[in-house]
Amino acid sequence: MGEYQSARLDGVFNALCDPTRRAILARLTDADARVTEIAGDFPISLNSISKHIRMLERAGLLRRSIVGRDHVLSLNAAPLAEAMAWIERYRRFWEGRLAALESYVTNKKRKRK
Amino acid sequence: MNAALASAAVVVRRTIAASAEDLFDAWLDPQALATWMRPGTIKSTVARVEPRVGGSYEITMQGEAGPITHRGVYQQIDRPKRLIFTWASPGTEQRDTLVTVDFVRVGERTEVIVTHEQLPESARPSHSNGWTSGLLHLDEACQQGLLR
Repeated sequence: MGEYQSARLDGVFNALCDPTRRAILARLTDADARVTEIAGDFPISLNSISKHIRMLERAGLLRRSIVGRDHVLSLNAAPLAEAMAWIERYRRFWEGRLAALESYVTNKKRKRK
Repeated sequence: MNAALASAAVVVRRTIAASAEDLFDAWLDPQALATWMRPGTIKSTVARVEPRVGGSYEITMQGEAGPITHRGVYQQIDRPKRLIFTWASPGTEQRDTLVTVDFVRVGERTEVIVTHEQLPESARPSHSNGWTSGLLHLDEACQQGLLR
C-alpha cells in the first residue's frame, strides 16, 4: 500500500510541476468545464492541451465524464491534499528543528562570553 | 528502494547568527541533539552518535504515546560545509530517506539548508480545501526545484 501511494504521489508531483497544468486545475476550482472550453483559455493547440489533461487524469487530479458529445472535466482534490499534507508535515518538522538549533547555538554562545 | 520515492524533497532554510562550525557541531554532538531535536510534544530526547562516515546514529524521542526512534548512517561529513545521513523513523515507515544539511556562510551568519529526500508517503488524505494556496505553494516548490 505504501508503494502504491508513493507511486501515485510521484505522479501528482510530476503533474503539478508545470504552469499550464496548474492553470488548468485552477480553472476547474471555479467550475467543471468542457475540454473545448479549457482549450479556448490557453494559447496552445488542442493537441497540447489534451496531453496536459491526460497527465492530470493519470495523476488522479481530474475526472472526465462524457455527456453526449462533450467531455466534461472536474477536479479531484484528494491526491493534491495528500501531497500537500506530506510536504507540510516534513516542512514543519525541519522548520521547528532549525528554530531550536538557533536557540541552542546562540544560547551556548552567550554563556561562553 | 522504490524509485518513485526519490522524486520529492522538502527543503527548509534558516539563517542563524552563529559560525558554520558551531552549527555543524550541534548536529553531531549527542548532548546538543538531546536539546534541539525535541519537538513540542516530546518530553525528552536521547541521542547516540558515531560521528564518522559509515557510523550510525540513533535519536530516541520520548513522546506521549511512547518512544519514537530515528536511525541512520552518516554518508558524508565535511565540516563545516555539508553533512549527509540516512534517516529512518516511524514517520518514514522505517524506510531509509536521505537528509543533506548544507552550511553556507552569509557574512557573520550562516545559512543552514536541510534537504530531506526520498520520503515515502504516509500522511493520509486530509480532505483540506486549501486548493488555491496549495497550488501557489507547490509553484514555489517546483520553481525552487524542491520537487523532482
